[in-house]
Parts: sequence; structure tokens; C-alpha cells
Amino acid sequence: MHSLLRSTPFRVAVIVGATVLVSLVIAGLVAVQLIQTELAQRMDRAIADDFKVIAEAYGEGDTVDMIDSVTSHAAAAPNRDWIFVLMQPDGTMLAGNVTRVPAGGGWMTVPAAELGLAESAGRYRLRIGDVAGNRLAVGQSFAESGDIVRLALGSIAWAGAVIMVLVAAMGTLIALRGRRRISNIAETMERVGRGELSARINVGPRADDIDLLSRQVNAALDRLSALVEGMRQVSVNIAHDLKTPLNRLAISIETASAAAGGEPLVGLLGQATSEIAQINATFDALLRIAQIEAGARRGRFVPTDIASVLARIADAYVDVAEEQRQTLVVQWDEGLPPIEGDAELLTQLCANLVENALRHTPPGTQISLTARNADDALVLVCADNGPGIAESERSRVFERLYRGDKSRSTPGSGLGLSLVKAIVELHGATIVLEDNAPGLRVAVRFPR
Amino acid sequence: MRLLVVEDDIRTADYVRHGFIEAGHVVDVMADGRDALAHATRQNFDVLIVDRMLPGLDGLSLVRGLRAARVMVPVIFLTAVNGVDDRVEGLESGGDDYLVKPFAFSELLARVNALARRPPAQTQKTVLQVADLEIDLTRRSCSRAGVNIDLLPREFTLLEYLMRNEGRVVTRTMLLERVWDFHFDPQTSVVETHISRLRAKIDKPFERPLLHTLRNSGYSLHA
Repeated sequence: MHSLLRSTPFRVAVIVGATVLVSLVIAGLVAVQLIQTELAQRMDRAIADDFKVIAEAYGEGDTVDMIDSVTSHAAAAPNRDWIFVLMQPDGTMLAGNVTRVPAGGGWMTVPAAELGLAESAGRYRLRIGDVAGNRLAVGQSFAESGDIVRLALGSIAWAGAVIMVLVAAMGTLIALRGRRRISNIAETMERVGRGELSARINVGPRADDIDLLSRQVNAALDRLSALVEGMRQVSVNIAHDLKTPLNRLAISIETASAAAGGEPLVGLLGQATSEIAQINATFDALLRIAQIEAGARRGRFVPTDIASVLARIADAYVDVAEEQRQTLVVQWDEGLPPIEGDAELLTQLCANLVENALRHTPPGTQISLTARNADDALVLVCADNGPGIAESERSRVFERLYRGDKSRSTPGSGLGLSLVKAIVELHGATIVLEDNAPGLRVAVRFPR
Repeated sequence: MRLLVVEDDIRTADYVRHGFIEAGHVVDVMADGRDALAHATRQNFDVLIVDRMLPGLDGLSLVRGLRAARVMVPVIFLTAVNGVDDRVEGLESGGDDYLVKPFAFSELLARVNALARRPPAQTQKTVLQVADLEIDLTRRSCSRAGVNIDLLPREFTLLEYLMRNEGRVVTRTMLLERVWDFHFDPQTSVVETHISRLRAKIDKPFERPLLHTLRNSGYSLHA
């Protein structure tokens, strides 16, 4: 619900609704003003007409008839929505339905109290004038016009309420629909992020801005996947085109050494075979790094127990280290939480770190591989007390085929740490090389 | 054994065929995936050796087709690409093993031998025996000529795998995959170290060696 209220379509609907409401209020106020003015004019005309009828019908000396006329007019308005009063100049009442009128003459608007009526009767519009020596007052209550204005205001308020409800309903509807379409896009992009490059956004027939954007995203994804597919194809082709001749070469050498049987030739051919194996290993590692960096492997991630990975590493390498008169200690915290990952690649990550230490340190070196549960991450550390790596070289060791000056003579492809970095990045982890004073300390952090 | 090699590179196919014939097997070679699918469904083979990149029908589809037709013959894939996912894909499509080019023939032969169906009784045994060497799979114990030998868990697994393949060649990469579950090539002598430790326990104190090293190909346990 929270996300719905924050969605763009809902906000737009609310803004539009609020604008409509404000316009309605302004229009309503103007209309009420116009209605009030019009009603006031009509009232004045009606009062003037009645005044004229009473005043003009009777001449001087017809006071009795005039009293009758005023009395009958007054009798026709028993609830005093109209008032009619005739009084002598000294204030003596001759006829009428109220007992008092204010002093003065002409047009005036007075509260009911000045006519001797209850305050609740509201205000009155009055015309007072001299007719044949007497004072005639004709007036009308504002109550009726007030009712009309209240009715108008009420209608506007109801219209406003209905608009509010409609806006909220429409906004929710549009937001729900918009959210469905946007989450469709988000879902697709997430699948693409996971390496599923064939995923596409479903585009509707509407051709609105979201559809337009979706089409553009789809077109970009088409190009992207074509490029990736092209790269994959190229690497497969390179692999095929280079490896087939390598294979034939290996076959030739093997056949020759089987046929020759003589020692010198066999020795040379053996060397050639191991050279081929080396070329092949480098080539495989390069392809493997490229594939890991492409990220397709992420689709196969499962919760992986790092302790069992370390147990196998210990199993395989503790004896190897001992054989080389080095020491390898593998330790991990009890109850390490599993990490989302690929067991095979994590095993290779650990193996490469350990082998790197085994190969580049002299006999007597102590190597440790540990996994610790830190506050916000699982930290894997491979440390040794060997010669270490100069600070200037540390960032370069991750480069493909880079080999430090000291290690140029030792065996290895120069790809072990590049592969490590590719695996680390695939897992969303970070890797740092530090001075172990003395030695090298490689720390990999898998954030939770 | 009767083998079918599906490979479009003529030199590789010839080489593989000659090797198998020399080892005493009967070999058919086909270059086209579609033809191979028809051939393999009609006839009985013990093991199929299938290249992944083939004209007509690629290797993965060929094996999927076979499995769909309920042909359960063991299949080993040959491939130029040692990609991270390629092996998994191959196994998921119904392949049983996977070998990356370039390969040594000895490696292929060892794997084909290991894949060939063995008598079911062998797999249900709880005691394995080679000459006077004996391991008990339930008690996880090992003895030779009546003398108890203490083995570490991984040494036991290593020995068990060698004994199950008695007389056959087991290569270094096969051991890495089956015993350590390592699907990459370690740059250090992991296998050699463990073999020499195992040998020190089961062979050194006794007169006749059982664990043999075959130069350039692997290891074999036999009397």
C-alpha cells in the first residue's frame, strides 16, 4: 500500500484531483457571489414594485383604503418573510405586521431586532418612503435568498466530495495498472541482471510512454544479447579453431613418441606435450574468466556452506604444504551462515589463493586460510609470512597475464588471481591485498 | 566393448578409432549428429564418445534425443570449450562424463573404461579386495595381509575409488574430480602428494607393490 501511495500515477492523480478541487472551490465562490448580487437586485425590484403598487394606488385622503391595503398585504405574509408597515410621521402605527421601523428613509438593510423581531429572523431589506403624509415601509427577509445560496454551496460541496472519491478511486486504479507495468519492467531487468539475456518486457498495444520506453529497452537488450552471443560465439569459435589444431599437434606428438620408443626423441616430445598442456591451461583459464565475468553463472547460485569448502581445501592442501616444508592451517568459525554462491567456483577461489601462497613463498612459511563471521559480512582471509608483494604491485596482480618480477621464473599462468577476482566479483564480494608484516594478507568480504 | 565415436574432425576420429582398436575394442565412427542419433538408437553400444560441436545435430541435442528415446548408453562428451557451465550443461542433457580437447588418448581410454557398465554385484559389495589388500566400506577399515592400516577419511575415499577400478587406469584428473570434487587443474601436486602418502601406508611395509604409477597417464591398483 505504501509503495502504491508513492507511485507516480497515484501522485499525478492526486495532483490533478487537488487542482480540480481548487478550481471547483474558486468557481463556486464566484458563482455564489454572482447569485447573491442577482438575488439582491431581484429583491430590490420586488420591494420597489410592491411599494409602488401600494403608494400609487391611493391618493391623498385615501388613508383608510391604504390602511386596508397594507393590512391585507401584511395578512398575506403571516410568517413575516415580507413586512409591510404604515405609520404616521410621529411614529403612530396605522397598519402592518411589525411594530417598529428604523428612522430615516430610502433603501436600507437592517437586522430583525430593529424591526422588533427575534434576532433569529436574520436581516431584512427595507424601503421606507413618504406616501400621502404617512411613512410606508416595505421589506423582505434575506432568509429565502440565504436558502438559495446555502443550496448552491451545498451542491458545490457534494460535487467536490464526489470528485475526491472519484479521484482517489481512479488514482488507485491507474497506479495499480501502472505498477503492474512498471514491476513487469523491473522484473525483466532483474532477470537480465541475473544473466538471463533473453528476457524481454511485454509491450502492450497502447503505444504510450511506458510502452515506448519498454520498446527502447527491449531494443537495447536485443543489441546487448546479440553482442554477448557474438562474443560467446567468437570465443567458442576461437576455442574450436585453436584447439582443434592443438589437438592434432598433441596427437602427432603422441603418435610419434609411441612409434619412436628411443629415449632422446621421447624426452623432447614429452617436453612438447607439456608445452601444449601449458598453452591449453592458459587458454582455458582465459575462457573461464571471460565466462565468469559474463555473469551467466549467477543463475546457478545456491546457499553454499563455506565450511565444507574449506574442509575440502584443508584435506587437499595441508599435506602438499607439509611436503614442501611449509605449514598450512585452515580454520573457520563454528556456525558460519551459508552464502549465496557456486560451490565449485568458491572451491577454486580458495584453492587459487592457497596455491598462490604455496608457490610464491619459500620453505618454512606459515600459511593460514580462515573464515570469520564479522558483523555485516563473512570474511575469508588467506595470509602468509613470506616475502609479500610490494605495494606498487598489489593492484596489478589482478590483471590478466600479469606476473610479478619475482614470480616470472616460477610456474603458473599469471591468471590465478584474475580468476580469483572474477569469482569474487561474480559473488558481489570485495577483495583487498594487505601487508601482513611480513607477508601477504588477502581478504575477501562477502557482504550479507 | 562396442563403441561409437561421433566426431567430425577426421584426424581426431582416426586417432581415437585406432587407439580403441589397439585396446581391443570395436569402433564405429560417424561425423554427422543426425546420422549418429539414428545409428545409436538402432544398435547397441557400450559407450558413446560424442563431440559437442557437430554438423547436422549438435552433441547436446543428440544426447537429449537419445535419452528421450530411452537409450541409456553411457555417453562421454568431447569438447573444445572448457567453460564453467559447459560441463554442467553436458551432464544435465544426459551425458555421463566430459573431456576437454586436447586430451591424451590414455585419459579418454581410462574414462571410457570407467564408464562401461560393470556387473551390479561389484557395486553392492561392502568389502572390496585386491590381492591381500582389503577395505570394509561399512566399518571404514583397511587391512593388508591381516595387518590393520589406519587411513585418513580422504585416503580411504582415494583407495576405495582405486579399488573399485581395479586393474583399470585411473588418471590424475579423474581422481581430482571423483575424490576431491575439483573441476579445475591445480598448479600444485595435490594428487601426487596424496598418492605417495597412501602408498607409504599400503605398499611400503609390504613386499609386493599394488599401487602402480603409469608414466604420463595415471595410476592403477592391481596385484
